[in-house]
Amino acid sequence: MTRERQPGQRRFSPAAIGADVLLLAWFLFSLFPLVWLVLLSLKSESEQISTFFEFTPTLSNFGTVLSAEGARLTSVNFTDALLTSVLNCVGAVLVSLVIGVPAAYAAGRWQYKGSNDVMFTILSFRFAPELMVIVPLFVIYNQLGLFDTNIGMIWVLQLVTMPLIVWILRSYFQDLPPELEQAALLDGYTRKRAFLMVALPLVRPGIAASALLAFIFAWNNYVFPLILTGSSHTPVTVAVTRFLGGGGQAFYSLTAAAAIIAALPPLLVALSIQRYLVRGLSFGAVKA
Amino acid sequence: MGSLSVRGLTARYGKTVALHGIDLDVADGEFFVILGPSGAGKTTTLKSVAGLVDAVGGEVRIAGRDMTGVEPYERNVAMAFESYALYPQKTVEQNLASPLRSGRTGSWSVAEQSERIRQVTTTLGIEHLRGRFPRELSNGQRQRTALGRVLVRPADVYLLDEPLSHLDAKLRAAMRAELKQLGEMSRTTTLYVTHDYQEALALGDRVGVLREGRLVQVGTPQQVWHEPADTFVARMFGQPEMNLFSADLTADLAAVPEGGTAARSRRGGITVGVPASLAGSVAGSVEGGAAGRSVLLGIRPRDLEVLAGPEPSDRLVLRGRVTVGVPASLAGSVEGGAAGRSVLLGIRPRDLEVLAGPEPSDRLVLRGRVTLAERLGRLVELSVDVAGEAVIAVTDDQRVREGDPVSLAVPWQQVHIFAGGASFDTRNGAGTAAARLGAGAPVSRGMAAGEAGGVGKAPAVDASAASGGDR
Repeated sequence: MTRERQPGQRRFSPAAIGADVLLLAWFLFSLFPLVWLVLLSLKSESEQISTFFEFTPTLSNFGTVLSAEGARLTSVNFTDALLTSVLNCVGAVLVSLVIGVPAAYAAGRWQYKGSNDVMFTILSFRFAPELMVIVPLFVIYNQLGLFDTNIGMIWVLQLVTMPLIVWILRSYFQDLPPELEQAALLDGYTRKRAFLMVALPLVRPGIAASALLAFIFAWNNYVFPLILTGSSHTPVTVAVTRFLGGGGQAFYSLTAAAAIIAALPPLLVALSIQRYLVRGLSFGAVKA
Repeated sequence: MGSLSVRGLTARYGKTVALHGIDLDVADGEFFVILGPSGAGKTTTLKSVAGLVDAVGGEVRIAGRDMTGVEPYERNVAMAFESYALYPQKTVEQNLASPLRSGRTGSWSVAEQSERIRQVTTTLGIEHLRGRFPRELSNGQRQRTALGRVLVRPADVYLLDEPLSHLDAKLRAAMRAELKQLGEMSRTTTLYVTHDYQEALALGDRVGVLREGRLVQVGTPQQVWHEPADTFVARMFGQPEMNLFSADLTADLAAVPEGGTAARSRRGGITVGVPASLAGSVAGSVEGGAAGRSVLLGIRPRDLEVLAGPEPSDRLVLRGRVTVGVPASLAGSVEGGAAGRSVLLGIRPRDLEVLAGPEPSDRLVLRGRVTLAERLGRLVELSVDVAGEAVIAVTDDQRVREGDPVSLAVPWQQVHIFAGGASFDTRNGAGTAAARLGAGAPVSRGMAAGEAGGVGKAPAVDASAASGGDR
């Protein structure tokens, strides 16, 4: 099959080969921690701290993490933590979508004095380090009885997911020609029905992409649950670090296994909506 | 069905004013065309009527009902957007069904819907595309689908925004012919926006010419063609554009025997007689008579007729002058004489004809040399140098060659006179428009002078030239 040459694409040259070698070196360097993690998760307890390379793969670490043995070592049930994380993140993304999609539509369509300032304020939630607000939040959560609850986590994760969803979807709505909804209005549909019938179906790729990103960010969030949850609703990020042992023995291979398990759900979600994702991530950036 | 009435309609985008007070009355069932160049405010006018534009001032009444504060979906208007605005996720059939399913255009059973859609798609020649998505259609097919989404439903007013602009030339001509015969169109008040003057003339019961947010002229196609309100309107209609010449009004007694006024183009190549009513209207605005006032003369290329084909003699070329006589009855009413006033002559290229045989005296005759002959099929577009003035004429005389001397003739009533100004640039009139003077163009009665009256006799030409030079 013949292929068109891309702009700037050249035949092999020493410079191009040199650049490729450099990129390959960088690729190996940045990938190495992941390789190490996988190797570590497959090592037995005796092999993990050995100073020379010793490797007889075993899956026992994964079993330990998910079993009662793991719960005994860390005082946190890892399976429960997985469920808690799924519950929190799915809940947070859903709440953000229900509120954020209409907000993004309004932000994309309605230009008023100070509309950009409002958008900037929403984005600024992402600027502040989480540690900056964590102390007052801790006090407030204790007062309201939200400490160590799923509702509390879903609420606080809005700081992570909502700005992301609003900002990404706003550009999707802005890319839609307003004539589409205007046509629906003249067809006799109210503004709400025009939104639901015309605009919403057309930004589905954007919703998928932004929801996935929001899910990953929420899933990986560490500081909020570390401070705002106790032992009964610990999410998976905190549970993983428990294997490093707070003062007790550090189980490196168990930590590695737990981290890999913890990374699987976002990966599965991403794969399942990959079809939307590739189109979605580029659609917002490049105007067709 | 319903009338449409617009009073003092204004619209602005930020600091840009898009419409400066539009007044418009469209009768029940009338087909009204808004013609204007890009950026004139045509689409904004339609969207304002539809209620899709915020920051609108003035009043819109549809079927007698004041539309202030009425939502678009309650106005009972249908609009075809220039960008089609077809729902990308719906098929042609579903797009057309959309207005029928909204519940605001009457109640339609599923069977009635599909029957209605079948009728409309058949009329528009897209019945075989009903299952396709907009992305699978050509631009022409999309445009017809957008038109179908309008025609499929009853409405008080149809708003059509350049619905034929993306069709190829042949299909456009065919659709233009069909469009007006559609029952829906003839029954429904229609506001139709276009930048194609032929569409406007062919379709419109009346035509409104829009320029920079103002309606410059509203009238029947005949009115806007024959009596353009200003040079902007004159240039909008006709391809090639109307010839415009800067001219000065002079009391040219030799040229105009009965004491009338003449207008002589700046380069002296064209002299026309100006009806006194026109000269008077100029004089009325300036104390001390009209003398020295500048005007613009307009002659449509189509109105020019090539009088004599290729003529070997250089003599005619050298004497190529245009003189338009002023009817004495009109010129006589000018106080203190109108000499020295400037006028602008307008002659449409189509009004110029290529003639053979003896020169008639009831027409303005221009003599010059062909500098460019563009053969456009049956017609030839001529650029003729008339004593320094470039005149465009259209003829079907295929014998005319570049370099040939020719005589062009135009009936007197087809010479248009506009208020002139020293600053008016006849080559590039963008941004300026000169108003038409008086009610009519020069008429043959009382006309005199120059070559026009001279029937090719040298003395008449010389007299005209000499007297022009004296003043």
